[in-house]
Formats: sequence, C-alpha cells, structure tokens
Amino acid sequence: MKRVANLCFALLLLTVTTGCWNLKEPNQLSFVKGAGLGLTEDGKLEVSYLVVLPAALGGGQISGGENMETFRVMSATGKNVSDAMVNVQSKLSRKVFSGHRDIFLVGQRLAEHGMGETIDPFLRIPKSVMRSMIYVVKNGQPKDIFSIVPFFDQFITTSLSDEQKAMGLKPYLARKFVEDVLSEGKQPLVPVVGLNPSEHYSYAGSAIFNKDEDVKLVGFLNKKETSYARWITGGLTRITLTSHVPKGDGSISVTLDSLDQNIRVKKIHEQMQIAVHLTGKGTIIENTTKLDPTKQKDLQLIQEKLNQKNQKLILELIKNVQEEYKMDIFGFGEQVHQQYPHQWKTLKQNWPELFSQLDVSVKVDLQFTNLGQTNTSIYP
Amino acid sequence: MKLSGIQVVWIIVTTVIIAIIGLKITPVIQIAKQDAWLSMLVGGVVSVPLTLLVAHLSILHPNQTFTQFSQTLLGKWLGRIIVLPNLIAWYILPAIVLRSFGDFIHLIILDQTPIWIIMLLLIVVMTYLTYSSGITGIGRFCVLVGPIIIFTLLVSFLLNIRNTEWHHLLPIYSDTGWATILKGSLSPAVWFAGPFILLVIVSFMENPKKAISKSMLGVGITVFMLFTSTLMVLLVFGPDLAAKLRFSFFVSIKTIDILDFIQNIDISIVFIWIFGVTAQLSLYSFIASYETAQWLKVKDWRKIIWFSAPVIFIIAISIPNETTITLFDKFWTSVVFPICGIGIPFLLWTITVIKRKSVKL
Repeated sequence: MKRVANLCFALLLLTVTTGCWNLKEPNQLSFVKGAGLGLTEDGKLEVSYLVVLPAALGGGQISGGENMETFRVMSATGKNVSDAMVNVQSKLSRKVFSGHRDIFLVGQRLAEHGMGETIDPFLRIPKSVMRSMIYVVKNGQPKDIFSIVPFFDQFITTSLSDEQKAMGLKPYLARKFVEDVLSEGKQPLVPVVGLNPSEHYSYAGSAIFNKDEDVKLVGFLNKKETSYARWITGGLTRITLTSHVPKGDGSISVTLDSLDQNIRVKKIHEQMQIAVHLTGKGTIIENTTKLDPTKQKDLQLIQEKLNQKNQKLILELIKNVQEEYKMDIFGFGEQVHQQYPHQWKTLKQNWPELFSQLDVSVKVDLQFTNLGQTNTSIYP
Repeated sequence: MKLSGIQVVWIIVTTVIIAIIGLKITPVIQIAKQDAWLSMLVGGVVSVPLTLLVAHLSILHPNQTFTQFSQTLLGKWLGRIIVLPNLIAWYILPAIVLRSFGDFIHLIILDQTPIWIIMLLLIVVMTYLTYSSGITGIGRFCVLVGPIIIFTLLVSFLLNIRNTEWHHLLPIYSDTGWATILKGSLSPAVWFAGPFILLVIVSFMENPKKAISKSMLGVGITVFMLFTSTLMVLLVFGPDLAAKLRFSFFVSIKTIDILDFIQNIDISIVFIWIFGVTAQLSLYSFIASYETAQWLKVKDWRKIIWFSAPVIFIIAISIPNETTITLFDKFWTSVVFPICGIGIPFLLWTITVIKRKSVKL
C-alpha cells in the first residue's frame, strides 16, 4: 500500500515538474533566419529580421502554395539594440526565436558610424547563436538584402551562407569577428554583399574595420584583393588566376586549390621583417597562348610568369593597405606575437603605426599539377 | 554502509569534473590566457600532495570519520571545536553549488521559472538519494553517471574538432610566465583535490588501504578531462573571446555544427550537468548530515537530513547575487581551503604521527 502511495506521489510530481509553463510550441514562435543591424538616415538604430512564414513551407505537395510568401522582413528602430528588438517583437504576435539564425548583417551606415556598442547584446543573450555568419551590406540596409526573393533557396539567408564557400573562401563567422575585435594583433576583414541593379545581391569583396576606434568601417577591398588577403590569413580554399603571357602571345587561367601560406617574421637590427610565402597547386583551365604546358620549358615559363605577376599584385595590395588604411588585416601582428612574444609586449602599443612601416616581402610558388585535357591551345 | 574502491574513484570524478567545467574554466582563462591548459596540468600536480594528505590521514584512522577521529585524538571538546570550520564549509558549499546551478538553468532554459522551484526540485532529489541509501547509494549513482559524463564530454570533443584552430594556443608560455600559470592553477588545484571529502568517505571503504591509489586515479581522470576541456575551449574561441564568456565550455558546445544537421547539442551538457550537480549535492549533504550527527552524538544520522537539507536550501536562497558567489570563490581558495583542507588535516596528521611514535617508544 505504501508503495502504491509512493508511486502515485512520484507520478504526481512528474506532472507538475515538467517545466511546461516554459514550453513554447512551434506555432507560438516566429523563427528568425537572419538578423540585421543598421542606422537609419536620422541616426536611429534599426533592427531587421527575416521571419519565416511556416504556413507557406509545405512538404512539397501540390496545394497551390506556390504563390504564397515564405518569409517577411520586419524591422523597427530603437534607442539601443535590445530596445529595437523589443520594438520588432511588438509587431509580431509570436515570440521571436533566434535559434536558427544563420546570417547577421550590418548596414554600411552603422559600420561607418562604429559598431562597438552593438556587439555586446549579440553575445550576452543566451539564445544567441555562435554559428551565424556576418556580412556588411554595401550601400544599403540589411532589410534591403533580406527582402530579395532568391532563386535557388527559399530564403536569401541560405544563399548567403553558401556564398562564401562558392567563392572559395572559408566561412567568416560572427564569432570570428568578435574574436578579431578582441585580439591584439589583427583587424577584422568582413565579407561584403551589395545590391546589384537586377535587384539581387552580389558578393562584393570585404570591408576593413578598425577595432581600436569603435569598430569602424574604414575601407573596402574588392573581390580579388579579398582573395589575396584571405590567402595570407589562411582563409582561402580556391582561387582562379589569369595572366597574360607575352611570350606565348595569349593568356592563361588556372584554378588553384590546396593553397597554403607561411609567414616568417625576421628580426633584423631591431626591425621586424615579414616574409610571406604563398603556395598553391592547380589546374590549367584556359590556354590561349602558343605555349605547350606538357613541355617542361613552357610549363616553367608559365609558372614563372604567374608567380611574378601575383607576387607583384599581392605586394601592391599589402602596400596599399599599409599606406591607405594602416589596418593589420593580414594578422602580421599576431605572427609577431607568436614568433617574438617578448618583443611583442613592447611593440603592441603602437602596432598600427609600426604595421604601416613594416617591411614585407612576398613570394608566390605555384605548381600546375593538372594540365587539363588539352596541350596547346585548341585554336592557335 | 560500505563503499568499494571503484565507487570512490567515480565519486571523485563525478562530483569534481562538473564543478570545475561549469564554473572554473573561464576564471582560469582570464588569468592564464592561452596557457590555461598548462594551469590545469599544474593544478593537477599541486592537488596530488593535498589529496595524499587527507587520504593518508583517514587511513591512519580506519573506520573513523573526520569528526570521530579528531575527538579520539584531541579529546571530546577540542576535537569538536577543531572540526567546526570544516563542518560549516560542508554546509555552505552545497548551497553555493545549488545556487549557481539554479542560476544557470534559469538563464539557459527555464527563464520563466522562479529559481527557488528549480532549487527545491534538486533538494528533493538530493534528500531522496541521501536518505534512502546514504553513501552507498551515492557511490552507486556515481558509478552509473560518471561514465556517462565522461562519454558525453569525449563525444562533444570529437564533434567540435572541426571548429578548432591551433594558432589560438600560440605563443605557449612566453606571454604569461610560470608565476601567472601557477596563479591560474590555484583555484582548480584546490578543486581537484575535492573539498576534503576524503576525510569522511575513506572510513566507509571496504578496503581503506586502497584509498590512496583509488583517489589518485579519480583525481587523475578529473585532471585529464579538465585539461582536454580547457584545451577545447581555447582551441575553439581563443583566449580573448573565451575570457568574456561566463559559461565558456557550454558555449563552445553550441558552436558544433556538422553538415547543418548536428546542431544545438548543448542540451546534452545540461543533462550531464544535472547528474553531476545531483551527485555533488547528495554527497555534501550526506557528509554534512553524517558529520553533524557524529558531532552531536546522534545515533541516527538520517534524522539530521531534515535539518541539513532546509539549511542548505535557505542558505542558497539567501545568496543575494552572482557577485557573492564570485567573492565566496575567492574566499574559498584563499581562506577556507588553506584552513580546512590543509591546515586542520595537517595538524591532525602531525599529532597522529607523533602520538604513534611515542607509543612505539
């Protein structure tokens, strides 16, 4: 009898201790796939959400659901991030759920104004996701990008999270951005998307930030420059290079994978020197020259030409960044930190200044391991 | 009530791992930055003599718990006075554990539930486990959940390998130096040794001679798991970001994302955390009740649970905020542990050795 009583008591406990008052059914939640922060023209902070409309996401059955909208963009302004979030919530009857947030967008105006204060709330809230990717929206606001009707996917956020991989870049996550902001010897380099004239988005390189001054956007790199910069920091998986070869009277294109980089710091007369060594192996995908890559001599000529050309371009990029922006987006400071930790303690105080005067040399070593299916150009 | 050797191993592992993973990784990273993993190893080494001391002291007095043998050594009154600090510590510690865990669950999952309900539920489970079977039940519970905890942690490490970046650990040593590494190791070191629980539980062992080898094994497993967990947190976030995250290990599990399919497995960590906290609470409340009974010379220690459980609950509720817990942690490392974990046991150990020698002469 006592056993039965105990069992009943245990069952009773089960019913009251399930935590059901904390339960939110999926139909009480509004799932957010993407969140954006921007600054309106009159200087107010604006939060935008890409909210999923689950009713339109049928299981692929023919139910006439084709014309239904699958998402809606909601935005509102506020005094700070949380205030704006609350204001968006007030326009939605279901509680915002950010557990599926893939994309985090920052409007250009906010980025230029400085986004230091806006980073905290995104880390502090327990439901914030550490897996989101971050983009800067060039010449626009996050809601402009969210409003795009994509052609491959149901939501633009899915396209955006595949975009970097498709461009041969390792995904740049929001947590990586925070990590760069908190680091000592590296400046954030954030991917950029822009609206194109056909009302769709296009990847447009990346944005240079100054973490020491309120995380302010200071300049842009184009697609090519971004690839080079990411190659140096180890964030590149694939790149296609084209070069004119005067000797062969034509041009050659190669796609490189298995890219590698090695940054050596040398100390000469109390001056730090950086030696960047980039390597890559790849396939020839286009050859309009008279040269025949199957011949050792011609192949060497082509490799030499491409090495030289890219060496020059990368060095130009580094010089340009050093002089124009003075932002160490290549993480050279981090390399000095790792290779000369004792010197770094004194160097880090005025690293931005030192970086701009840093002596950098670049060496590119390319190998074409796969020559493609043809030897000389098909149509000489 | 008897404990086997393997139960002692798992009691140490289960009750200590969760406490350090939950609350100690971030503070260590704040001090020792990318060398926090070295701090964990150094802490492990430091904890060995501390564990040896309490284990050996208990072996010298077979079948007697701390309160009992201090009374046989020092007499009825002095013996009672000297154990008071430990007794008080054994009441406050579970309260702190209870409150931190309540806060954590409140923050992460049950944000609409009052903290006292979360804590009350844990107190009920704790009282049930302690009352129904005492230390044997706690030992069995730990043998059951200890391996689950280790397994879950190991799987989480494997799943998180994709997110790791080796350069986060560089440069090793030169940024911090041995003084900072040692400073960072102090807080985990006193935890690895366990809050001097061996003073009590060794007396329940079937074979007390094995106490030293078993406790060393337990501490060894714990140190290894903590070393790997700290390494994973550092490899995923780097020292700068990890130092900003309150529950850095928990958040590092949140980063797991395999093929957009295996995500949000942080809930498994909440599971093992509940297991660990239940074991911890039950063990400390058992020790507190049993030792209070010995102190008051009450024959049935189970009656004391009806006193100790409410006391723990009330202390936990009356903690005003997070700052108090942080302050207590500093107080624990700098005052409580040196007195209760080193000072008093060492004093008793010296007296025991001197007395034995004089008897032999």
